[in-house]
Amino acid sequence: MADRKTVLVIDDASLVRLYYRSALEEAGFRVQEALNGLEALERLPGMGADLLIVDINMPQMDGLSFLKALRQCDSPIATIPALVTSTESRDVDFAAARAAGANYYIAKPVNAQTLVNFAAMLSGVPR
Amino acid sequence: MNELLQQFLIESRELAEHATDDLLALEHAPRDAELLDSVLRAMHTLKGSAGIVEFFEMEQAVHAAEDALGAARRNLGVPERAVIAQGLACLDQVMEWLDAIARTGELPRAAAAARPVQHDWSAALLERHPDALPLATTAIRYIPDADCFFQGEDPIAHITALPQLLAFEMQPAQPWPPLAALDPFRCNLVLLALTSASLESIADHMRGVSGKHDIAALSSQGQRLDQSLTAAARHVLASQLALVDGSPPPPFGHLASAAITASNVLRFCGGDAEADRLAGIAAMDRADMHAALRAALSGLLADPPEEKSAAGRAPQPAVRSSRTEGTPRTLRVPAERVDALVRLTGELTVARNALSHLARLAALQGNSLAPLLKARDAAFGQLTSQLQRAVLTLRVMPLRAVFQRFPRLLREISEELGKAIQLKTIGEDTEADKAVAEALFEPLLHVVRNAADHGVEDPALRARQGKPPTATIEIRAARQGDQVLVEVADDGRGMDVDRIRQTARDRGLATEDVLGSMTEEEIIELAFAPGFSTAGAVTHLSGRGMGMDVVRTVVERLGGRVSIQSQAGKGTTVRFMLPFSVMMTTVMSVQAGGQMFGVPLDSVVEAIRLPRSALSAVGAARAVVIRDQTIPVVDLSQMLGDHDRVPDSTETTLVITSFAGQRCGLEVDKVGEHLDIILKPLDGLLAGTPGISGTTLLGDGRVLLVLDVGEMLQ
Repeated sequence: MADRKTVLVIDDASLVRLYYRSALEEAGFRVQEALNGLEALERLPGMGADLLIVDINMPQMDGLSFLKALRQCDSPIATIPALVTSTESRDVDFAAARAAGANYYIAKPVNAQTLVNFAAMLSGVPR
Repeated sequence: MNELLQQFLIESRELAEHATDDLLALEHAPRDAELLDSVLRAMHTLKGSAGIVEFFEMEQAVHAAEDALGAARRNLGVPERAVIAQGLACLDQVMEWLDAIARTGELPRAAAAARPVQHDWSAALLERHPDALPLATTAIRYIPDADCFFQGEDPIAHITALPQLLAFEMQPAQPWPPLAALDPFRCNLVLLALTSASLESIADHMRGVSGKHDIAALSSQGQRLDQSLTAAARHVLASQLALVDGSPPPPFGHLASAAITASNVLRFCGGDAEADRLAGIAAMDRADMHAALRAALSGLLADPPEEKSAAGRAPQPAVRSSRTEGTPRTLRVPAERVDALVRLTGELTVARNALSHLARLAALQGNSLAPLLKARDAAFGQLTSQLQRAVLTLRVMPLRAVFQRFPRLLREISEELGKAIQLKTIGEDTEADKAVAEALFEPLLHVVRNAADHGVEDPALRARQGKPPTATIEIRAARQGDQVLVEVADDGRGMDVDRIRQTARDRGLATEDVLGSMTEEEIIELAFAPGFSTAGAVTHLSGRGMGMDVVRTVVERLGGRVSIQSQAGKGTTVRFMLPFSVMMTTVMSVQAGGQMFGVPLDSVVEAIRLPRSALSAVGAARAVVIRDQTIPVVDLSQMLGDHDRVPDSTETTLVITSFAGQRCGLEVDKVGEHLDIILKPLDGLLAGTPGISGTTLLGDGRVLLVLDVGEMLQ
């Protein structure tokens, strides 16, 4: 991949971050990690990213609050595509994530290939 | 176990059984093209399912069997026995794997480890032909049969004649042997090609050629198109529209991120122009962006750029579904749930008995509500019996499920014995309660084994007797009122009455006098006596499993009966009479020692009243002679522990019971009505109480103990 896309994985579970990181890096992405929404909001302006992969249930700042805050920012980071992965998979959860500003939602557990496919699609990896 | 695997198990088992049946049928009718098609369809689906759960070993195994059968269809139209045997062996292996998965909840470890590296031949082919890349829509890999030249085929001419051919290459299928060993008449080629024609037209072109071919659709950019991803792309775009569509218009961040996401999706799918347009929209101010984005997304979704390829082409050759049209809609329900429903319905029926009791009580007391109660009770009764019938049909299954295991088993048995035996089954559609049908298998198997082993003569002997060399064993079933009749008939030598008599004498089953006075039918009945076996040598087949005495016990436990008819030289018929359902039991209520008991009506022969003087002492026990038959008599109340009872009348009541061919008179105080009950097994402290098979609640709330006659007589 000529220009590598950067993905920020925001999840409090280290195993999930590890799993996502290994799958995404193998597929040619550059991967950054944040433990919760607050950390992500603080680091994003300096770091930038092509895609956010966001968990819902996290301490400090959960995924939905993070997305709401992010989309209100007066900064380019407000426009970064966000993919929510969560174990909550009811329609209301999808709707809540969308209302908060998530661009797409997949229910956990996510298989590595699916994650890579969606990451490539949402971050605009040309094929 | 995950849901996918569960579904895979259920479906694959059905498919494998289905294919096995068809293969067995094919053995007898090898020219039946429909059967062969059906087998191939089932195998194809089986292979596909295995691929989905990533069970590659099974996928490969089924693929090999499918290939062999498919080749038979193309080449001769008639599969050879060896090919059918290979198919059966493969399906056997599949069933073993499925059993293992059901046990462990995961794929067999060795099989899971065998995942091959999936090499993508079409992508590699494209890489080697960059010039063809912009136009290529379809890739073909064609491996002709080794003997295709003899079928007048010219694979190279065929593939170079592909419409709109862009690139073509040839590789050896196996490494080329040294020139001296080369067989120029065998085709050892893999032919690869790229064309700009549609998948359908290529499939048409390749139809009817021998060997294997794979056809893969490529996207317009010459990349392999992943169909699911395209559908996914569409879904992601629709999500962006939903994100944008809210009113009031969502914040800038929502809109811009949706525009960027949509742009990214399009770039990913190769729609660069559209991607640039959406990226431009992302740079607009909020009001303009909202309208422009909505319009752009709606337009894209109405006419999705990649949709035409997604709809018409699959990356794999089209998979024909084995799900046939017009099959009735069915619901899969776990058996336990149906069992629970059956049990509850039974309990409802019993509860309704209490209402009847109440209605009768009210009538006796002249209560003014009595007529109303009686009317309600009647209506309630009608509903419960309708419910009971409806629920019973849920658990009913055709005996086919049992019968279909026999062709296979008999095939093995006849091979082992070296006797040619054909199986005929009649009335497979006859239905019975699942519990009855399932319990029937073992006894039936034993009887069929017996018939094959002892009944059917050696081929030489059959020839001398002018019988057809192939013996016939027929399993037939029919519904007779509330009962199901199942018969196993053979055309063998019949039962040897003299030999049975001899064996009975040797084993001390009956005295010479008794044997002398017995009719042929009665002597044949002796085969059911415990420990009886006439076979000179206990063979591998009949020697295992149950004896005829166990067959009888199993059948009687079910509330059925078994009998034998035999004609010397003509054959033997074993007849099972089984209840349609085991949900309800009918008992005769009896009173003994001030306590009420239930005796299963199935084991009651008759109830008689006779003078006490008719009972004669035989040692410490007593017996009675009824119609020239001496029957032991047991005093029920004494047997149950009431030893101090003094007979208070000159007459006594006997309930004559029969179990496993033995008769016994139960002396009771009084015989009551017949009751339909559901038997509840004893549990807790009382579990395992000998002589009691279970309990039930009576209409007035009392508990009725139901006797286990067989156990009591021992």
